[in-house]
Amino acid sequence: MADKQNPETGGQATVTLTIDGLTVTVPRGYTVLEAARSIGINIPTFCWHPKLKPVGACRICYVEIEKFPKLQVSCATVAMDGMVVHTNTDQVKNGRRAVLEFILLNHPLDCPTCDKGGECDLQNLTFAHGLDDSRFAFQKYRFVDDDMTTTFDDKRIGPEIILNRNRCILCYKCVRANKEAFGEYDLGAYERGNITEINAAPGRQVANPFSGNLVEICPVGALTNTDWRYKIRVWLTKTTPSICNFSSSGTNILFYKEDHKNKIYRVTSRRNDDIDDGWLADITRYSYQVITSDERLIKPLIKKEGKQVPATWEEALEVIKKRLNEIKDKKGGVCIGGLASPSLDNASLYSFAKFLRRTFNSNKLDYRQDYRMLPKDTANNYSILASQPFKIAGIDDSDVIVTFATDLLREHQNEYLRVRKAFNFKKARIFVANPYAVKTADVAELEMVYKVGTDEIFINAVCLAALEENLVACPDRADLKKKIKPSSLKDAAEQCGVAPETIKIMARALAEGKKVTFIAGELLTRCRDREIIASALCNLNRLFGLNRKGQIAVLARYANSMGAVKLGISPEPVPALKKELEKIWSGLPDTEAYNTDTMLVHMKKEEINGFIIMGANPVMLYPDREFVKESLEKLDFLVVCDLYETETTALADVVLPLAGWAEYAGDYINLEGCRQHAEQALKPRFEAYPGYEILEMIADKFEKKLFSSTEERESEIDRLLKVDTTLPWPDGFVEVKTAEIEIEKDYPLALFLCDDPHHCGHLTEKANSLVNFCGEAYIEMAEEQARAYNLNEGDSVRLESPIGKIIVPLKISEHLDNQVVLVPRNFTSHPVTSLLMRKRRIDWVRISKVAE
Amino acid sequence: MKDILKAIGRAVFKTPLGFLVTLKYIFKKPVTLDYPRKKKPMAPRYRGKHYLERYDDGTERCVCCGLCAAACPADAIYMEPEENENGERRAKIYEINLLRCIFCGFCEEACPEEAIFLGQEYEFSNYDRNSFIYTKDEMLVPHPRKDNPFKRIIRRVRRVYGVEDTK
Ligand code: SF4
Ligand code: SF4
Ligand code: SF4
Ligand code: FES
Repeated sequence: MADKQNPETGGQATVTLTIDGLTVTVPRGYTVLEAARSIGINIPTFCWHPKLKPVGACRICYVEIEKFPKLQVSCATVAMDGMVVHTNTDQVKNGRRAVLEFILLNHPLDCPTCDKGGECDLQNLTFAHGLDDSRFAFQKYRFVDDDMTTTFDDKRIGPEIILNRNRCILCYKCVRANKEAFGEYDLGAYERGNITEINAAPGRQVANPFSGNLVEICPVGALTNTDWRYKIRVWLTKTTPSICNFSSSGTNILFYKEDHKNKIYRVTSRRNDDIDDGWLADITRYSYQVITSDERLIKPLIKKEGKQVPATWEEALEVIKKRLNEIKDKKGGVCIGGLASPSLDNASLYSFAKFLRRTFNSNKLDYRQDYRMLPKDTANNYSILASQPFKIAGIDDSDVIVTFATDLLREHQNEYLRVRKAFNFKKARIFVANPYAVKTADVAELEMVYKVGTDEIFINAVCLAALEENLVACPDRADLKKKIKPSSLKDAAEQCGVAPETIKIMARALAEGKKVTFIAGELLTRCRDREIIASALCNLNRLFGLNRKGQIAVLARYANSMGAVKLGISPEPVPALKKELEKIWSGLPDTEAYNTDTMLVHMKKEEINGFIIMGANPVMLYPDREFVKESLEKLDFLVVCDLYETETTALADVVLPLAGWAEYAGDYINLEGCRQHAEQALKPRFEAYPGYEILEMIADKFEKKLFSSTEERESEIDRLLKVDTTLPWPDGFVEVKTAEIEIEKDYPLALFLCDDPHHCGHLTEKANSLVNFCGEAYIEMAEEQARAYNLNEGDSVRLESPIGKIIVPLKISEHLDNQVVLVPRNFTSHPVTSLLMRKRRIDWVRISKVAE
Repeated sequence: MKDILKAIGRAVFKTPLGFLVTLKYIFKKPVTLDYPRKKKPMAPRYRGKHYLERYDDGTERCVCCGLCAAACPADAIYMEPEENENGERRAKIYEINLLRCIFCGFCEEACPEEAIFLGQEYEFSNYDRNSFIYTKDEMLVPHPRKDNPFKRIIRRVRRVYGVEDTK
C-alpha cells in the first residue's frame, strides 16, 4: 500500500477492507456502502443519496461486519482498515426482510394508482428481498386531513407537488435535500412515532425553485407532481439524453417521451458531477412544456395587406428571396442584418453567421438581445473577463467564494447550489456583494449591499483595503492608487455605503484564500458601464492574483452564449477566431460591423432595411421597448423565426415556425466552455424546422449553399471550436474611469429587471407548470419600503419611469432591504422593458398605489 | 363388360345401405344448433368478450394502472389515465382491440383491482375494422346475468387478500 500521508487526518489517506471476500482500497472517509459500490457490489438503499449527508434512517442497507455484534447500516458506517464486511449472509437477508416488513406495516400498497409504480424503490426491493405476506393483523394507520384534496389521501402541498403521507417511508431524503442542498425550509417532518409525517411548513407551500427534485428523489410515490400525474406509465416511455436550454450550465437531463404520440412526458436529471450534481432547477425540469404546448406556431405566416396570413413554406421562402434580393440590389447586402438567440445550437448559430456574412457580405449580426450599449469587438476588459476559463466543479473546493453583481438564484441556479454545497461540505467562506440583498447571503459570511451604481467603487475599495492593510505582495501595487478614484479606503467605502471594516475582512479573505472563486453575473453584463466595472475587476484580479489561485469570471447567461462567442456570432469576433474564419471561408467581409444596439440605431435611420431574427424576442427583452419597436417598424423587410407568436413576430413580414431544442439534435457549449450534445427526442411538431435547416433552405433560394453536407458543417464548427478564445489579461493595472450616473428627480427607486426564479427569458411563460409557480409579473420590494408607501402584499402598484408606466401587483420581499425594486421581465402581460431607457446606467422609477 | 355389370350391381344394392346410416340419424338428437336462433351455453370458464366491473356504489373499479396492458401478450390494450372529480385515478380511454386479442385472459389475471373479466360472449362480427376497437363505455355495461358471476370471484379474491372493498 502506498504510504501517502494525509496531513489532515494524520494517518493514511486510504483504507483497505474486505467486502464479500474482495479486497478494496478506498480513500479515508468513504462509507462501507461507497466502498462496496466502488467494486460493483450492490447494497439496497432508501435514504442514502450521493449528494447528501448520510442519516441512517431506513436501515435497509444493513451489512454484517465481523467483530460488530449487530448488523450495521453501511451508508453511515465509515470504512476502516481491516474491516471484514459481508453483504449477503442469512443474517443480512433476514435483517432486510424485517426492515421491509416494518416499512410496509402502514404502507397502503396502492401501487396501481401510484405514479411511481414501475420505478419505485420500495416495489423493487420488496420484490427482491421482501416477504410475500405481512404478519401485521391490525388496521393500517391512515393520514386524513380536512383539506385533503382527494379520496386517495393525496394532498397538494405546492403549486406542483402532491403529497401522499401514507406512502411515505420516512427516509427524510426530501427534507434533507431541501435543507442541505437547496437551503429551503418549506418542507419539514412533524410529529413522531407512527404518525410522523412529512408536510409543508405550516401555512406555506412547497414552491421553491428546486422543488421538482424532491419528487425525483423520493424513493416511493409519496411526493409526486402534477406534471407527471396520471399521464403515462414509466415503462411505456423511452428516454433521450439532452441538455437544458434555459440554463447556461448546460444541466444534463433525460427526456421521457412516447414515440407514437411524439410527446415528451417529463424530464429528470442525468447526474453529471462536473456540472449539475444531479439537481435540476424547476425551470430545467418543466420547460419542456414550452415545446409540447399546443399554442405553437403551426405554419409560416406572411404579411399581406397589413395582416399575417398562413402560407406554405415554399411561398414564404419565395417572398424572403424576392424581398431580400430587392434590398440587396437597391441598397447592397450590407443593409441586411440579423439577431440570433443565444439559446440556439451550434449548427444554427454558425449557419446564421455564415449566411449573413457570405450571402450578404454583412457584418451586422449579434446574439445579445437584452444588454444595453454593448461593446462591438473584444478589445476591452469586459470581454477579457468574460473569456476567462471557469469550472463549475471548481466552486466545490474553493475556500473563498465571492459573488459580485449577481443574484445567483435568479440567474445561475446550478451555481447557486454549488455555492451552498461548498459552504455545507467544505465550510467555504462566502462573500456576497450586490446592489441589493440576495438569497445567496443565507450562507454568506458577509453580505455587502453597496449603493446602486457604485459597483466599481466597491471593487476599488476592496483593492484599497488590501493596499492599506498591506495584504498583498503584488510587485507593482503602488501603481494602482494612481489609476483609481477615490484613493483612500475611507472615501471609497463611504461612497459605496459599506463599512470599511467589512471590506477589510473581505480583502483579507481574498488575500488569504488558497483557492478563490470570484463570480460576477448579469448585473455586470447588463450594466451600461460594464467596461468600467470590468476594469476595476481586472485590477482586483491582478492585485490578489485571483486567476492564478482560483478562478474569476463573468458567467455567461444563456444555454449557448459561449457557443455564440466561440463561433463568432458577434459583429467582431476574437482576432484568433477571425483568422480561422478567414481561412475556412477564404475571406471575410470587411464591411462595417454593428452590434444589436447600433443595428437598432441604424434601422431607425433606415440604413438597415432587411433583418432576420431567429429565436430572439428583442421587443420584449431589449431595455427600451419603444425604441426597438420603432426601429423594427422602420424596416422594409423583417423575417422572424420563433416557436410562438411573440411581440416581435407581430412586426414581421414573414414568420417562420422554428423547431424547439428537443426536436433536433444539437451541440451546446456551456459557461465553462464544455461542448455537450443534446439528442433529438421528438420529430418537429407542426411544420417547424430547426434553425440550421431554415437557413439552408433560404440560402438555397439564393443559390449559395451554406454547406455541401452536414459533415462539412460539423468539421467547420470543429475547427472553430479548437481556437482558443481566451483573451490575455492586461499588463499592469488599468485606469478605472468614473461613471456618470444620472439622477432623476422625483424618481427615488432603482429598478432592476430580473428573471423570476421559475422563469427565464421570453418562452417559459408557455410552460404550464412554471406558470403554476408564478404566472404574473410582480414588483418586489422591501417591507419597509412598502410600509412607507402604505402598501400591502398583493396591492396593485403603479410603477412609473420618465418614459412609461405599468401596473403590477406588489410582492413583499423576504430579503430586500434598500431602495431597490425588482420586476421580472418574463411576462408578456407586463412589458416592463417599456420603462427603461437605452443609455441609462440606473433605471430610476417611482411607485404609487393604484386606487381601488 | 363384366366390370360394368359389377358396378351397376353395387350401385343398386349398396347405396340404400348408405342411406340407412342417414336414416338412423333422423331419429337421433341433432348435434348442430339452430344458430343464431338458439345459442350454445358456454363452459363456465370460457373466455369471451371483456367486461369492466364497477364497485357497488357505481364507481369504476379500473384505475387505469396499465398492468393488463403490460401483461397482454397481443398488445391489444390501450389506455390513458385521467383524474376524476375526486382526484382519483381512472381511465380516460380504455380500449381493447378485439382483432388483436387472443382471449388468453392474462389481463384478468394481472388486474390488481379485479376490474376486468372475460365474459361469455363470443360473437364478433362487424362491417369495418374500427368497430373492433372495443371502448371503455362498451365494456362498462352491467353483466347480462342478474347474479353477476364476477362479483363472486371478486369476493373470493378479496377474502384471500384479507381486504375488504372500500366502496
Ligand atoms: S416523502 Fe418520500 S422522500 Fe420524503 S421522507 Fe417520505 S419517502 Fe422519503
Ligand atoms: S385476453 Fe389476453 S390478448 Fe386479450 S386483451 Fe386480455 S391479455 Fe390481451
Ligand atoms: S383493468 Fe385492471 S389491470 Fe387493467 S388498467 Fe384497469 S385496474 Fe389496471
Ligand atoms: S440507506 Fe442506509 S439507513 Fe437508509
